[in-house]
Amino acid sequence: MSEWFARFEQHDRQALSRILSFIAQGKHPPELIDFLAKPSDQPVRVIAFTGSGGVGKSSLVGQLLELARREGKKVAILACDPESPISGGALLGDRFRMNAGADDGVFIRSLAAASGQGALAEHLELMIGALRRFGFDLIFLETVGAGQSDVAVRVLADVVVLLVQPEAGDDLQWEKAGVFEVADVIVVHKADLPGAEKTAAQVRASLDLSKQSQVLVFRVSSYKREGLGDLWQHLLNKPPRSGSQGLYHKMRGQLETFVRNRLQALWRQPDTEFQALLESWRRSDLPDERILRKVLVRLAGRSE
Amino acid sequence: MPLRIVLAKIGLDGHDRGIKVVARALRDAGMHVIYAGLWQTPEAVVRTVLDEDADWLGLSLLSGAHMTLVPKLVALLRSAGLDHVRVLVGGIIPEADVAKLHAAGVAKVFGPGTPLDEIVTYLNQPGEAHHV
Repeated sequence: MSEWFARFEQHDRQALSRILSFIAQGKHPPELIDFLAKPSDQPVRVIAFTGSGGVGKSSLVGQLLELARREGKKVAILACDPESPISGGALLGDRFRMNAGADDGVFIRSLAAASGQGALAEHLELMIGALRRFGFDLIFLETVGAGQSDVAVRVLADVVVLLVQPEAGDDLQWEKAGVFEVADVIVVHKADLPGAEKTAAQVRASLDLSKQSQVLVFRVSSYKREGLGDLWQHLLNKPPRSGSQGLYHKMRGQLETFVRNRLQALWRQPDTEFQALLESWRRSDLPDERILRKVLVRLAGRSE
Repeated sequence: MPLRIVLAKIGLDGHDRGIKVVARALRDAGMHVIYAGLWQTPEAVVRTVLDEDADWLGLSLLSGAHMTLVPKLVALLRSAGLDHVRVLVGGIIPEADVAKLHAAGVAKVFGPGTPLDEIVTYLNQPGEAHHV
């Protein structure tokens, strides 16, 4: 694996691709975790796109990709499609709708999400880490055509875009709990179809009821290329989610990943002090805050 | 890990029924099929194989452009350092061209009427395991 790290440092695209495969296959030796953990001052924005199958996630990503490239931004896309619960096979067809050609500034990886695992492939947090280190400006994360309760994407992304389409349900549909609550931006896609205005109004009304007035609703047609510019500017300029709830979820997700990966490393190289700490966390014999502090200090490699 | 295969059509050929049938069969055989679709350039297909870290590339041509496009694509694959990727060709390929395609580096040509099982069995044969 180390030869791939060296080639990665040389900005070798094949090395990035192969390292993503190692990650996807669950091969995460400590040296990989350490490699990905190397600090990078590369500012990167992770934008997630979620919504039902057929709502137009890939098409919208394809359109935004064009805008990003026009501005010279380098974009990586992680596109998830479902894996068959019967055969284990998958048809990964998202890149078909993203016309990237042989552009050096675009990297697209198609991923299969195991059935029953929700809307995302596994180990995405490590893949995002690898893409960040490789120097992409933007990472687009496309979920599997998702149901109403696929909220895991929130911990991975700076901005979550939920796509809905006209006539997708009556106004009660927008009152249901779930993915609607984790969206930072809502796109009424296929806005060239009748009913888009009504759907946008219903969504707006629902958001205002739930005090999500900061969530903007955009009407966009990828087919007619309408409404894309405004959406794009908003996605680029919107501050990453910083409400306590959002930040908490994001940090918890990252922390869980970090702790899990460190544990994986520690199992090869026992660290009894750390293991005792985690054990007492599991037993809840100290307050979470107290344990967390110790865990963080330990992970940072300093004695308290 | 399931075998990863990119399926693509290169050139201006617009007939994608066959490649979609093959895509479905490989999916049902437990493979991960990356569908790149119609109207691809050889350069774009090589980029797809590289980014997707695929083991196999399946090309479908019904346009008669195979002797122009396929050798060019195989050469591009090799120069991109993707020597381990094996290339299959399907579609309307005259018998006289099959040997030429093999000589150009194509692993196997499947003509019209090939049973889908035959393609699956070929891909699953021992020694065709993932390169990692």
